[in-house]
Amino acid sequence: MKKRIGCLIAVLLLTGILAACGSNSSNEAESSGDEVVIDFFHRWPNEPRKSFYDQKIKEFEEANPNVKINVDSVLNDSYKEKVRVLVSNDDLPDIFSSWSDTFAENLVSSGRIKPLTDLIESDPDWSGKIIESQYEGFTFDDTTYGIPFTIDGKAFFYNKEIFEEVGLDVPETYDEFIEVLDELQAAGYETPLVEGLTDAWAISHYMGTIFHRVVEPEILAQDYNPETAAFTDESYIKGLEIFQELTTYMGEVSTAIDHEAARNMFSAGEVPVLYMQFAEILMVEDAGDVDFGFFNFPEVTDGNGSADSLTGAPEGWMLSENAPKEAEEFLKFLTSEETAAEFTEVDGQLNAIEGGVTEENANPTSYEAYQIVLDSSETAPWFDNAVDITTADIFMRGGQDLAIGQTTPEQIIEEVQSQVAN
Amino acid sequence: MKKKFPLTPILFLLPSVFFLAVFIYIPLVQNFYNSFFDFNVFSNSKEFVGLAQIQKLFQDDVVMVSIMNNFKYAIISVIFQIFFALILASILEDKLFRKVAPTLRVIYFIPVMISISVIALLFSFIYNPQMGLLNSFLELVGLDTLTRPWLGNSTSAIYSVIAMSQWQSIGLITMLFIVAIQKIPNELYEAADIDGAGRIRKFFSVTLPQVKETMFVNLLITVTGSILVFNEPFILTNGGPGNSSMTLAVHMYQTGFSRDNMGYASTIATLTFLLSAIFALIQIKVSKTGKED
Repeated sequence: MKKRIGCLIAVLLLTGILAACGSNSSNEAESSGDEVVIDFFHRWPNEPRKSFYDQKIKEFEEANPNVKINVDSVLNDSYKEKVRVLVSNDDLPDIFSSWSDTFAENLVSSGRIKPLTDLIESDPDWSGKIIESQYEGFTFDDTTYGIPFTIDGKAFFYNKEIFEEVGLDVPETYDEFIEVLDELQAAGYETPLVEGLTDAWAISHYMGTIFHRVVEPEILAQDYNPETAAFTDESYIKGLEIFQELTTYMGEVSTAIDHEAARNMFSAGEVPVLYMQFAEILMVEDAGDVDFGFFNFPEVTDGNGSADSLTGAPEGWMLSENAPKEAEEFLKFLTSEETAAEFTEVDGQLNAIEGGVTEENANPTSYEAYQIVLDSSETAPWFDNAVDITTADIFMRGGQDLAIGQTTPEQIIEEVQSQVAN
Repeated sequence: MKKKFPLTPILFLLPSVFFLAVFIYIPLVQNFYNSFFDFNVFSNSKEFVGLAQIQKLFQDDVVMVSIMNNFKYAIISVIFQIFFALILASILEDKLFRKVAPTLRVIYFIPVMISISVIALLFSFIYNPQMGLLNSFLELVGLDTLTRPWLGNSTSAIYSVIAMSQWQSIGLITMLFIVAIQKIPNELYEAADIDGAGRIRKFFSVTLPQVKETMFVNLLITVTGSILVFNEPFILTNGGPGNSSMTLAVHMYQTGFSRDNMGYASTIATLTFLLSAIFALIQIKVSKTGKED
């Protein structure tokens, strides 16, 4: 008798486990009855954008009572990792944010991203409002996979008061820039140019711009293409030497802090110059009370590259292959002129929607930056999105090592060359 | 009654075997299989490359740095978590501390219960070069020369990470030792008293031999834990600056997810498995555990 009960319990235990395993598959039936569930994944768990999107979700749900939106968000570097994991299986959210260029291309290569060309053509009222040139980073083989939303540019932000006090002008060339940094150091600013080097992307932004200044555009285009990449040009070493020289002005502290800490130092007036994105204008203004201006990375007089290209690429939205029709509507809603205008007011980052940024809703500093972005003759993509990620990683880790004197530019290039040769 | 084939115990074992198979043995075999292929999370197919990944393993400087860091982790952890924890445990179990021991035990155990992410964030404030407690403390006591950006310096980064681990884990090992000491029959101590043994003599002649078994278990936990360590360096430094605080697990993770090379990541995982397995085997052989009782 006892034995039988024992058997029974054991069998019950087993069936319990098997049943639990089986029930997973039923999760896929997302639309129960009339309700449609949209999974929404973005990369801003920080304010003000988190609240902005929470608000937009609420508005959309109110306008479409049958739609329920599940939202999830993680920050920058973690977002890159998480999206990679999600795209490798069928759990990809219906709508999510993406960078342009290689990052987008990688996602697209998984075959799980929805082509949007038809959607764009079917609704010109909506898609026509988006600045045409910004589609480029999301278009591969003539098919567009993403809708650009925010646009950006990277420039040196400088503290006007400190520059006046020390009697400095905005540098026109790289040599002048070094002089400016020397004079700031002489004036008592021990680390005139700080950066949070624990953030790998911050290093890649520097390197992308520097390479655009010193490397010939044809060679750069060749090396940015994973098929033809060689990185044999001598100017890369020069580029890394420039980065190394700049890190000497960043102080010991820079390898132990992140970009946000560096920005706070700038906002507090402790640091006179910082390489930042226009997206950060409002954050600087909120965090402190400094009067700042900006200038593009100055021309490198003996460099072979473009003297005044602006680094910065759009970010936008993508849909997964299986996204429901309502997700398309939500995408249009997120990139509508009204949303864009409100976004400019709340967040301050510039966007690619015509009428989204106007003199009325943007603050004067942002509007100035907007004009710079629109007028720039040539834009350069973020370096970590422009080249193969393994190559970018060698440059970024190498950048940290350069800053602490653990490696040389030649060693980094050697490593990159052997990597791309494989 | 005749001896029948005992079905019931097997049925009871099945659920745990099932779980072990699904979550440990199958992934282990799969990982070994994967290390012969080249693929990333985006790709839909795997390319067979034979031993190329293993060859790459031997040329990869970062792997060497990682192994060295894992060894540093293991050595320092053994010193702190085995020897210090044992001393701490025997002090707490001493008659002198009977009254306060329960309170102290709780205090030492609290870090074990806090999530490692929280602890790592906490320590990143302590190590912060601008407003960190550690640097402020050093300045306060006049040791200005010792202040440094603890996590941003290639020599101090890994030790700072290890230090945090010791602070967190010593409570658990101490607790395991306390349980072992409590199990020692009191007669042994009484006999030692009659023989005129002092505290230190009693520690070496009674406590130490009696907790040998527990010591071995703790040694195993600590050493294999050190080879697998991931959370602490990942959150505090992400292996940086450069690769100076890289461990095998962080290197594996970054290879797989940041650098899109799942095949090579599997190879690093296989190496990690082999290393921890070898260490466990050596320890089991040396200590001849399980044969005494």
